[in-house]
Amino acid sequence: MRRILAIASLTLRAAFRYRVVLVMALLLVAGVIVLPLIIKDDGTARGFTQIILTYTLALTTTLLGFATLWLSCGILAREIEEAQMQMVVVKPIARWQIWIGKWLGIVALNAMLILLAGAAIYTIMQVRARNLTAKEQTILQNEVLVARKVAMEDTPDYEQISRDLIRERLQHEAPPEGLSIPALQTIIREQLKSRDQLVQPNQRRIWTIQVGPPSEVRDKPMTIRVRFDPPVPDLGERFMTFWEFGDLATKTQFETNFVMPSEAFVEFPIPPNLINDKGELHIRFDNRNEKALLFPEDGMQVMYRIGGFGGNFARGLGIVFCWLALLAALGLAGATFLSFPVAAFCTIGVLILSMSTGTLKQIIEENGIVAVDPNTGRVEETKVVNTLAVPVARGLLNTFNLARGFSPIDNLSSGRAITWTDLSQAFFQICILLSGGLAAIGIAIFTRRELATATK
Amino acid sequence: MSVLDTNAGGGQARENVIVVRGLTKVFKDFWNRPKARAVDSVNFEVKRGEVFGLLGPNGSGKSTTVKMLLGLLFPTKGHIEVFGHSPRHVATKSRIGYLPEESYLYRYLDSDETLDFFGNLFDIPPAERKQRSEQLLEMVGLSKARRRQVGEFSKGMQRRIGLAQALINDPDLVILDEPTAGLDPLGCREVKDLILALARRGKTVILSSHLLSDVEDVCDRVVIYYGGKIQAMGTLKELLATPDAMRITTPILPRATVEKVLEVIRRDVAEDKVRIDTPTQNLENYFLQVVNKARAQEADTSGATSGNRVAEYLRAGTAENSPSHQARVLDRLTRGDEPIAPAAPVVQVTDVESLSNKKLEQLTKHEVPPAPVPTPSAPPEKARQADLNKANEKLSSLLNKDK
Repeated sequence: MRRILAIASLTLRAAFRYRVVLVMALLLVAGVIVLPLIIKDDGTARGFTQIILTYTLALTTTLLGFATLWLSCGILAREIEEAQMQMVVVKPIARWQIWIGKWLGIVALNAMLILLAGAAIYTIMQVRARNLTAKEQTILQNEVLVARKVAMEDTPDYEQISRDLIRERLQHEAPPEGLSIPALQTIIREQLKSRDQLVQPNQRRIWTIQVGPPSEVRDKPMTIRVRFDPPVPDLGERFMTFWEFGDLATKTQFETNFVMPSEAFVEFPIPPNLINDKGELHIRFDNRNEKALLFPEDGMQVMYRIGGFGGNFARGLGIVFCWLALLAALGLAGATFLSFPVAAFCTIGVLILSMSTGTLKQIIEENGIVAVDPNTGRVEETKVVNTLAVPVARGLLNTFNLARGFSPIDNLSSGRAITWTDLSQAFFQICILLSGGLAAIGIAIFTRRELATATK
Repeated sequence: MSVLDTNAGGGQARENVIVVRGLTKVFKDFWNRPKARAVDSVNFEVKRGEVFGLLGPNGSGKSTTVKMLLGLLFPTKGHIEVFGHSPRHVATKSRIGYLPEESYLYRYLDSDETLDFFGNLFDIPPAERKQRSEQLLEMVGLSKARRRQVGEFSKGMQRRIGLAQALINDPDLVILDEPTAGLDPLGCREVKDLILALARRGKTVILSSHLLSDVEDVCDRVVIYYGGKIQAMGTLKELLATPDAMRITTPILPRATVEKVLEVIRRDVAEDKVRIDTPTQNLENYFLQVVNKARAQEADTSGATSGNRVAEYLRAGTAENSPSHQARVLDRLTRGDEPIAPAAPVVQVTDVESLSNKKLEQLTKHEVPPAPVPTPSAPPEKARQADLNKANEKLSSLLNKDK
């Protein structure tokens, strides 16, 4: 352990001596202070949150993310290129210890910087919140600076249902001509989704949401967070909405109706004690408009307060920290077999690929890379490349989603709780599974690599 | 002598520290096509306590061999054993000290931190680490520069701190790649004496160099590389002895005496085979004399000071721990009080078959110093004094500037 710690503290010392820490600290603090100064908020709690929390947290994450990649690539690749690594590997220290030591050093550096940035953001928030009106401050305290638990309706496994449906139908009928089985499955899946999510004019949709054990939510006021989209996007359009909450049987009901914009989340409060003995909340929505409205999968959320902002903020930063640890592992893994510029370029490429997963999703949804005719829904015969593309895309997407499945910044700025379970799950998936995988690859290559050259 | 028959001089069976068999290294390009055969079917062994020299011109495969011994490069073919293990065996490395041919140290660490870091890698406890660091810095003459970052050091100072880190673990095997590169003659001599001191303690030293004087002064046995192959191997005595000639050194003799001696010699040897001259000392010895004199007159330098006594932990528990030996190791070279031998002319005689071995022994007994360190011989004090003072001034200014 002394050896691993020696490498870690050397890495930290390098970052200090090369003034990486100083520059990053100045950049972070300047960003956190200056950004809210140059972008004016609109005086509402929501606008305030958007600028102070979302922007500054996103800035911090981006800055630290790129710096971590850059640093982790540099710290290993340059030590190998400049042959200092030769002096280390001839000492009684295993290569995995060197790799882990480097990783720990960068992780410790990130911990310091993220604590600094977090403290700066928290302070700025407290100071700037005083400028808001009393009413907006109340909204801020109730909607943003809280940790609220979110409950949503379970989404059915459309993939499985559509597959079962096709199998059942193919037992009685011949497959439709000119349409491959995967293409047919795509069509059925989309039909199933729209059947559930789309509310036609003069139709009613009912949600049954498992909110929580009745004892836990008794007497707690709740917030509904809802969003729907019209068939043709139009931001200016408003829709009249009619809502009923609670169980018909128990007669504890709450009704409300109001005009609501589309394509944006809207929050409104409902009184406590509307859930039934099973902890379920029934919600009914009547569409009395002339257009059909589509509620996306996360379009109906029930929220109630379970904690304060401080802890939530710390856990949110914890998830960001897990991401940074992953980036450190990615950078080091790249640097074990690539030179510094190439490693930096490649790992940043991987980062960008992981952030834009739209194409991957499309490949999976369309069952291949070949285009689907939007009019007929027909796909050309499945080719070899597609049989390979779909599992590869699925594998990549699932891997990326292990890290992307958390949205701490979004959660913090909408006052949604980041629980200890979320944080532990993030730690397990990001720091253990993904970083561990990258570490295994990095260490395997590092161990097999010759660290001297003919000339150096 | 066969390539594998390497039982150095003494004949007693000492354990092998290093065994190299059929070692070949082919460097390949990006497409895995052979680019250069840097080392080609090399065999040798190094016994415990030996100072073993790898000698050869630049690019002959010495450093590649050293890097394979350390596990920095992997052999294409062949087999290496270091203390009975593969060079990649981690635990074995705690017995090895390595000084690379260039300073590959962390430029942002100071001397103290450098030694502390490497000490940590050997899992040396903090108190021990501190003690050893202090002794080593004292030994390599950097105790005044312990807070200066290594990146600011001159090449010579970097070499000194490199040497210190190679010895932090009190290694059983010390591998030195061009150890005197970048050092001033004073430093070179200190390094060479240190190597000899280590060898006396039973440490094994591998020295790779293209500087013939380095190898000649300290090595028991050498291999000479050329083109990746071993061209010659053996003890220096075996390789360098010219068995058909001898040399007699005396103080300056009156002409009559010389005539008498020559007369005796001419009875056995033809006149054209006998040569008389005054031996010139080598430049290194002369330089050391001058510097020692300058130091006696006082000169404080801001750079590396001359090395001092060998670090205590490197001396502990050996016969050399006696005060007389300690004084010999480095101190002798750094103090201006070394007695200067009187000048001596040399009579060189070739083809002296008639002289018996017994006679030869008697003659050499009193003349040749027992230690491998060459004893400086010097011209008469008066005759050289003027030259010495002149050179003294020049070199003093050079030293102060260059440190």
